[in-house]
Amino acid sequence: MARIGITTTVPIEIIYAAGHIPVDLNNIFITDANPHGLIEEAELAGYPRNICAWIKGIYTTVLKNRDITRVIAVTQGDCSNTHALMETLHLEGVEIIPFAYPYNRDRDILRLQMEKLAEFFEVDRQKVSKTKKRLDRIRSLVRRIDEQTWQSNRVRGFDNHLWQVSCSDFNGDPEGFGREAARFLDSLEEAGEIDAPVRLGYIGVPPIMTDLYDYLESRGAKVVFNEIQRQFTMPFDTEDIVEQYALYTYPYDIFHRLNDISEEIGRRDIHGIIHYAQSFCYRQIQDLIIRRKLAVPILTIEGDRPLHLDARTRMRIDTFVEMLK
Amino acid sequence: MYCGIDLGSRNVKITLARNNGITALHSYNTIEFYKKYGRKEGDCLTVDFSGLGLPQLDLGPGGTDKLVTTGYGRNTIKIKGGKDIPEIKAHVLGAAWQTGLKDFTLLDLGGQDSKVVLVRDGKISDFQTNDKCAAGSGRYLENMCAVLGMNLEDLSGCRHNPVDLNATCAIFGESELVGKIIEGYPVEELAAGVNYTIYRRVKPLLLHLASRVLVFTGGVAKSAALGEILRDELGAEVVIPRYPQYNGSIGCCVHAGLE
Repeated sequence: MARIGITTTVPIEIIYAAGHIPVDLNNIFITDANPHGLIEEAELAGYPRNICAWIKGIYTTVLKNRDITRVIAVTQGDCSNTHALMETLHLEGVEIIPFAYPYNRDRDILRLQMEKLAEFFEVDRQKVSKTKKRLDRIRSLVRRIDEQTWQSNRVRGFDNHLWQVSCSDFNGDPEGFGREAARFLDSLEEAGEIDAPVRLGYIGVPPIMTDLYDYLESRGAKVVFNEIQRQFTMPFDTEDIVEQYALYTYPYDIFHRLNDISEEIGRRDIHGIIHYAQSFCYRQIQDLIIRRKLAVPILTIEGDRPLHLDARTRMRIDTFVEMLK
Repeated sequence: MYCGIDLGSRNVKITLARNNGITALHSYNTIEFYKKYGRKEGDCLTVDFSGLGLPQLDLGPGGTDKLVTTGYGRNTIKIKGGKDIPEIKAHVLGAAWQTGLKDFTLLDLGGQDSKVVLVRDGKISDFQTNDKCAAGSGRYLENMCAVLGMNLEDLSGCRHNPVDLNATCAIFGESELVGKIIEGYPVEELAAGVNYTIYRRVKPLLLHLASRVLVFTGGVAKSAALGEILRDELGAEVVIPRYPQYNGSIGCCVHAGLE
């Protein structure tokens, strides 16, 4: 049983089926006691100042967790910074396992990619299929948490974010994670209603500033939709694992994401959208497409370093929420 | 009495008003204000109004006065007895009150901020602000004046034959300006170049949130050259209210009840 590093969602059914544990390196980095220190260490190693902080944090995280000797590199469907990240990790002796999401979601190419990954981990199709069923049971619990977020108004935006974002690796223990999710769902019966009349959608990669959700609620706005985080829960009704990863929007083009976002805006009665873009990320360019295609007001915010919102972003959030009230 | 306080990055502006209109306007250096007249009590800042030469406010239960605050400091500082409102809201309220307009684009250029707000029927319809960089703000103009050896008033008279300045950073902009001085350009043309730099900075925001009428506020609105550049380049009617730099604190008074 080995810990396999991942930098974004990949078919973890294959990793679990092989008896290994996937570790989402983003989560390890951002929950570190000193994430700033991890970024600084990467900069000391030679990473430029004007590069995504997630990439730098992951670099140091892998080097500090020496039990993670293998990392899956998503070579298509993520960013080009990831390529250089993998090369710098390779330089330090980390084994890199490539995986690519085909740009046009070609099912045959995707199937081949998944077969090659399964071959690498020496697992057969039956085992993977059985593992999918095992993980889908847990995903369905998290989907209920998501439903409760927008239907009952008892789940905080941050909790919605955390439960869903954790589905990228189920914290390395799917059954334990599932038990916690069930307990959380039970606890909601006694939870009070959240007093935040403005209903927001959050789109883009998960935020590096973890106080965003609480700040929004203190201003009277609640996030009832976390777009990418929800995608991590694979909210698709399909038995076919190839189809599942073809429906998953994140690694493909923006237009499929926009269809999903528009649908949820209507279904969840969302008043406004917060589009988060990481500093120095190519996804900042997509803001112009998002603004053209979505019919609700949009606030674009940018985050560079971890943990706290800066004063200017808070000022902009205040105005946006005020505008929607 | 209504008291509006705008805690800006460079100056703290205070407006006192009654329902027949504004009764007093005061401006204090921000650092001096916090050092000499502010005292932290728990989570709140207590302001020594008499030390500032201002009347003591009656803010207790059933009190007759109202205090509303806004500004860069509002995220960290809440003034005791006051209600704090978002900065952009304060500026929109102030601009609408000062001009009597309901549909316009507001351009506020303050000490560190550039804000552009689309206002429809007196309400915020959309807005954009500068984010990571303060080039194009009042502080940038002050620095450039220092390099050119001019005061702000002289700078605001220069708009013809602008020298092309390209640096996108307020600090690198200084060294670029020094380079142009060495090349022998007249100081007035360099000053015009500085004014055009500010325009180019806010141009994308203004084009995105355009209206027929542009209300221009903040300390930088006192620059006659910039007002003319905006009018000529955008083809919009540029309205500069009577008290552009007090606009936020006036907006606070409006929120407090000033009619």
